[in-house]
Amino acid sequence: MRDVRLRTGSATLLSLIAFYSITGAIAAFVWWLLFTPNFRLVWKNRLVLPSVVLIGLFSGILEITGGGGLSYFFRMMVVILIGAWLLSGQKRGEFLDLGCWLFGSRTGFELGMLAEMALQNLNSLIIDFDRIRAAERMKGVRSGIRSIVSVGRVLIHWTLLRAEDTAELLAMRGYVRGGTCVPAFVREKGDLIAAVFAICAAIIALIPVSAFFILS
Amino acid sequence: MKLVLNCAEVTRGDWRLSAQGIFAEGIHLVSGDVGSGKSTLALMMAGLLPAASGSVIREQVSLQMISFQFPEYHITGTTVNEECASWGLDPATILSSIGLVEKGNCDPFRLSRGELKRLHLACVLANQYDLLILDEPFSSLDVCEKQRICSCLSGRSRGITVMFTHEQTIFPRVKHIWEIHEGRLRYCGSPPDGLLNWHHAPLLIKNLIAAGKTPKNITTDDLMEAACVT
Repeated sequence: MRDVRLRTGSATLLSLIAFYSITGAIAAFVWWLLFTPNFRLVWKNRLVLPSVVLIGLFSGILEITGGGGLSYFFRMMVVILIGAWLLSGQKRGEFLDLGCWLFGSRTGFELGMLAEMALQNLNSLIIDFDRIRAAERMKGVRSGIRSIVSVGRVLIHWTLLRAEDTAELLAMRGYVRGGTCVPAFVREKGDLIAAVFAICAAIIALIPVSAFFILS
Repeated sequence: MKLVLNCAEVTRGDWRLSAQGIFAEGIHLVSGDVGSGKSTLALMMAGLLPAASGSVIREQVSLQMISFQFPEYHITGTTVNEECASWGLDPATILSSIGLVEKGNCDPFRLSRGELKRLHLACVLANQYDLLILDEPFSSLDVCEKQRICSCLSGRSRGITVMFTHEQTIFPRVKHIWEIHEGRLRYCGSPPDGLLNWHHAPLLIKNLIAAGKTPKNITTDDLMEAACVT
């Protein structure tokens, strides 16, 4: 799905219904299986498996302490899968286009720019992480609880450094608020159909079954 | 002991870098413009970036190290002393060699970039590696420190040392010169003959060659000696 408006809209809708109920999660999961490269995305995106492990951990604690952990795990899994699909097709500048299209050149520009910066930072974090791990391996430092602290320190250091650089750059260029951007969108065959099916999935998930069928 | 680049290629969109050559023991200098792909090639040679095609073969290389341009990536200790110890080194020896004894209990992130680079290079050069890849080792260093690093490097008796840099003034004694030109790694040769084929040679070296005073190598002493020839 190349049109970022339809992609983001579908992803938002599907994430909401997936989180809302098990029925919604099933509907969103079926949509994910049908309209995305599905499991190929999971292997490509290196953030999916760690996220699943983390969610699994929280769900386990929830199940043991109060129940409902399994339902939470399944719903969150679907949200993660939808998120992975949303980011897999992301192109630089798309969210700036989307922000300006949605909210105009002032608030929209700022929101779009924030989203772009966040994604850029996410990509940088992945590169940083690889470099740190490579450096640790060559030093002979083993992965473990102790190495998490040092990895975290370096990641935070770089993130703050980049944030400072970006802030300085914006200030130097006289950035105050908003900006000019002429949004352009590309749509490919099948984008609309997938979006329509996402809406259908949401209707199925949100409207009770009894509204469709007369049950005795 | 050698590293073989067998038509190894990296691509990133339209950008392409291809490399072919054999890196035997000794110091290799790889020069190139900013953005020419020096760091990318360094990562590929270290095995941290897979080649899109071709291969990188390391023969009899059991211990290797890549020093990234930014030393922060290598930090694992919460104090400078711990950082030295994490390299298996005695902090007192290392810190006295670089004049940072009083900073032993400091957080490495509180050091200036120059101090951190000094600390990092001192730790790297204190160990023996079969393959040592240095990505921009002179960045953030002053002239004195560059000279010190050069004499440390020149004193390395064994192993393959590959130095990626766009430094223009201070160099160690090198055995081979390479350059990245138009997306391709090119072997210029060994000094002094290799200097004649070195497109990215610093202006001083180019001028010396033009004046018929080709230096024997590229250390400051060699350049001074060549310049003083009458």
